[in-house]
Amino acid sequence: MTIQFLSTKIYIPPPRPKIVARTGLFVQLNDALNRKLTLVSAPAGFGKTTLVSEWIATCERSAAWLSLDEGDNDPARFISYMIVALQTIKASIGKDLLASLQSHQPPPIEVVLTALLNEIAVIPNDFILVLDDYHLMDAKPVDDVLTFLIEHQPPHMHLVITTREDPSLSIPRLRARNQLTEIRAADLRFTSSEAAEFLNQVMGLDLTADEVTALETRTEGWIAGLQLAALSMKGQEDVHGFIQAFAGDHRYIVDYLVEEVLRLQPEPVRDFLLQTSILERMNGPLCDAVTAQTGSKSKLEQLQRGNLFLVPLDDKREWCRYHHLFADVLRMHLTTEQPNQVPVLHNRASEWYEQNGLTADAIRHALSAENFERAANLIERAVPEARRNRQETQLLGWLKAIPDETLQHRPVLSVNYAGTLLQTGQLDGVEKRLQQAERWLDKEIHERPIYVDKEEFQRLPSSVAMYRAAIALAQGDVANSINHARKVLELAHEDEDLSRGAASSLLGLAFWTNGDLETAYQMFADGMTHLQKVGFISDVIGGSITLADIRITQGRLREAMGIYERGLKLATKQGAPALRGAADMHVGMSGLYLERNELQTAEQYLLKSKELGELNGLPKNPYRWRVAMARLREVQGDLESALNLLDEAESLYMGDFSPNVHPISALKARVWIKQGKLEKALAWARERKLSVEEEPGYLREFEQITFVRILLSQCQNDHTDSLLHGAIGHLERLLKAAEESGRNGSAIEILVLQTLAYQMQEDIPAALSALDRALKLAEPEGYMRIFLDEGSSMAELIREANARGSAPNYTRRLLSAFEAERKGIGEETPLSASPASSSLIEPLSQRELDILRLFKTELSGPEIAQELVIALSTVRTHTKSIYSKLNVNSRRAAVKKAIELGLIQP
Amino acid sequence: MTDEQKSNPDLKQPTVYHIRVKGHLSQQWMDWFEGFAISREEDGNTLLTGAIADQAALHGILKKIRDLGMPLLSVNPIETSPHNTPDFKLDS
Repeated sequence: MTIQFLSTKIYIPPPRPKIVARTGLFVQLNDALNRKLTLVSAPAGFGKTTLVSEWIATCERSAAWLSLDEGDNDPARFISYMIVALQTIKASIGKDLLASLQSHQPPPIEVVLTALLNEIAVIPNDFILVLDDYHLMDAKPVDDVLTFLIEHQPPHMHLVITTREDPSLSIPRLRARNQLTEIRAADLRFTSSEAAEFLNQVMGLDLTADEVTALETRTEGWIAGLQLAALSMKGQEDVHGFIQAFAGDHRYIVDYLVEEVLRLQPEPVRDFLLQTSILERMNGPLCDAVTAQTGSKSKLEQLQRGNLFLVPLDDKREWCRYHHLFADVLRMHLTTEQPNQVPVLHNRASEWYEQNGLTADAIRHALSAENFERAANLIERAVPEARRNRQETQLLGWLKAIPDETLQHRPVLSVNYAGTLLQTGQLDGVEKRLQQAERWLDKEIHERPIYVDKEEFQRLPSSVAMYRAAIALAQGDVANSINHARKVLELAHEDEDLSRGAASSLLGLAFWTNGDLETAYQMFADGMTHLQKVGFISDVIGGSITLADIRITQGRLREAMGIYERGLKLATKQGAPALRGAADMHVGMSGLYLERNELQTAEQYLLKSKELGELNGLPKNPYRWRVAMARLREVQGDLESALNLLDEAESLYMGDFSPNVHPISALKARVWIKQGKLEKALAWARERKLSVEEEPGYLREFEQITFVRILLSQCQNDHTDSLLHGAIGHLERLLKAAEESGRNGSAIEILVLQTLAYQMQEDIPAALSALDRALKLAEPEGYMRIFLDEGSSMAELIREANARGSAPNYTRRLLSAFEAERKGIGEETPLSASPASSSLIEPLSQRELDILRLFKTELSGPEIAQELVIALSTVRTHTKSIYSKLNVNSRRAAVKKAIELGLIQP
Repeated sequence: MTDEQKSNPDLKQPTVYHIRVKGHLSQQWMDWFEGFAISREEDGNTLLTGAIADQAALHGILKKIRDLGMPLLSVNPIETSPHNTPDFKLDS
């Protein structure tokens, strides 16, 4: 997955042998190195690029160069090219960053920028970054990137911007802080002596002082003007007459002089100049194709020697371009003199670019030629790769340039238009494009559709259905989403993994939303298998969260852990940079460790997730991380921090197609209950319109259970029988609904609340019977916190249960955890409670257990070290200790023994 | 249409603009400047006159002037209300 980076954009124009030495300006530029930014801001033709490139050649600092063009208005591309430019200074810079910018789910720009600054910090020496032609940037996001960069610029970096208009930066502030050097038109224009030096020495004319003054006055020291004047005089018979005529004329200098220059050129050269003016960059073969002649390479060399405004773009003398100003005037002459030629020339350029595999340029010229059929064909062929490489901005730009009447006949293009809009979150125009595509599915239609991608055309019915399913789900229309997604599965071939994968996952999400968890799981898992086959690894890793969430609701914590472990393995394949989603897996695992009451491990996983950084996290990780950390703080009794974290999480919340079954507001209500702030919790319940009369429903289940918690807490304070009665009835209905749909996770919590409710009613047999059911469901999955969180009244009942012999091992473990909690130890040491541990002379430490658990995976030693954020040597020390404590001498034997002893799960 | 919208030069009706640049521009540039009338003034400046659809189009024209390196002297919208016909005749 790589965008083609043009090396011509990062090529520093080389110094020219003959040139006016601008010593004064060089001194200014050198002084400027102490400040952050040098702004070279002046109109076209003032020699900005020449000045900076000549200066860089004399300067001892290393420099990176980026020539901007309109395409760089996409901030991701702007930053990507900046990285590519910086790689000319330090080759290893930003490799992972580039990859993640081109991945399926690029990280948010702020994250990328922070990472970029970290990379820049690693460059060992002072350096200069030049952004040439910044006036071509007119997108606010790019200005924001620049502002951020300048704001946080490390001291060893100096930025130079050349532009025809002042950029949208807070220039007064930079001035006030003495962080800015400005070189403007007045500094750049040639003085009389520079004009004389230029005309007589550099251009080899032999002019008198008066003649030089006349030219300098007429051009006002404008370098492009002087250069054109010099070119016009070469080959003039009456130089003096020419100067007099020019000086006495009011015409726009460029008009006047280019006409002179063109008049002096032999006809073939003149034609060549005009015809090639449509090109943004040129080389011999391309010019041959456009002019339908041969020998362009030598013509270009000849022009370069004649100083005809040619700018080299690489050091192989292959690519070059005209000075923009000169090109504009040439193009104007072309359009007025040979208007019919213009589309012909663009078509030729388009064909050449197509043959040479440069699709974007081929499309650009086809659009300029207004050859929309050709452009449409090219775009249609470019679509799959452009969408894979996340170039939707560019793709949308092309598609918008195609008129509707052309699109009308192009079903494949229309459906891809819809998909691209959907991908960029622009739901509005999608339906129109789908209808445009769907028209062709009508058997009655007599016209013929136009397409180049036959397979894609055959897939049309399933593609249309797929996008419909996605829109329906986004709009909360689950039934329709299921219908459309099913249709995709009916229509798509067995080997169409992308369609099948996407449709199955959508179905899974739809069933999840409906509360049919088992079907949801199967469908979604099936979808992930297909997506993995076609290499959509990031999506598969992200899908682990969905699968684990479903399993947790079903009360299958061990499977959830396995899902996260597999996800993590996918995200951290050996030898490759960690993929996005690695951080998310750690957050998920942390939650599971927390439920097991392994709080230290839970915290380590959260810290590790943080350490991996946001670059390795999916968009929803920032809020999920805070929710997980809030839960940990809550369990640790730091309720204020928990609330703060939940507030932050709320502001970072990112919805997706998954149902929001654990709303953050409900999590906050639960903390308020613990704080005794029942008023706040009740206000939340009123706002959410919760009542004991409400029918149980999966989407509201978490909130309904939270509501019962509020009621029970109220009852405890004022012993209202009717309230308690209502709560018990509600719990009964909630339990029935949860059990019927196999939501064991929810059922355990409901049973725990029932236990407490009956206890309040002083109906101990009923309380113990509910508790017994909860223990049976919870024991095999290692639940701990669900009981521990309820404190002493629960401890009392569990003691009773233990005395009556229900789940003896489990209740014993719970009791010792309660005991540890009461004493303020906080965390249960798993081994002290585990009956099997008695057969070990020396119990394993928590860390050794962590390592043992990872022994069971296929992670290598270094990977285990990375996983636990410890040194490899530490892993080795622990390993030795594990072997000796278990009396084994291999990893496999250690795992086997540990399972036998019940230290780790099989 | 509310009064507010009426007074906003960015809505619906194209506005006629006078743009003055330094130096005499040849008639050949008419297409380049999207059909603007080009008239040369005696003081050596050029007056470009034409209807502009909206602010974005105006900035597009200004950008073209910028890219030619021509000094920009003034930009004026001309009233287009029915009572006040634009002074095309003076310039063309």
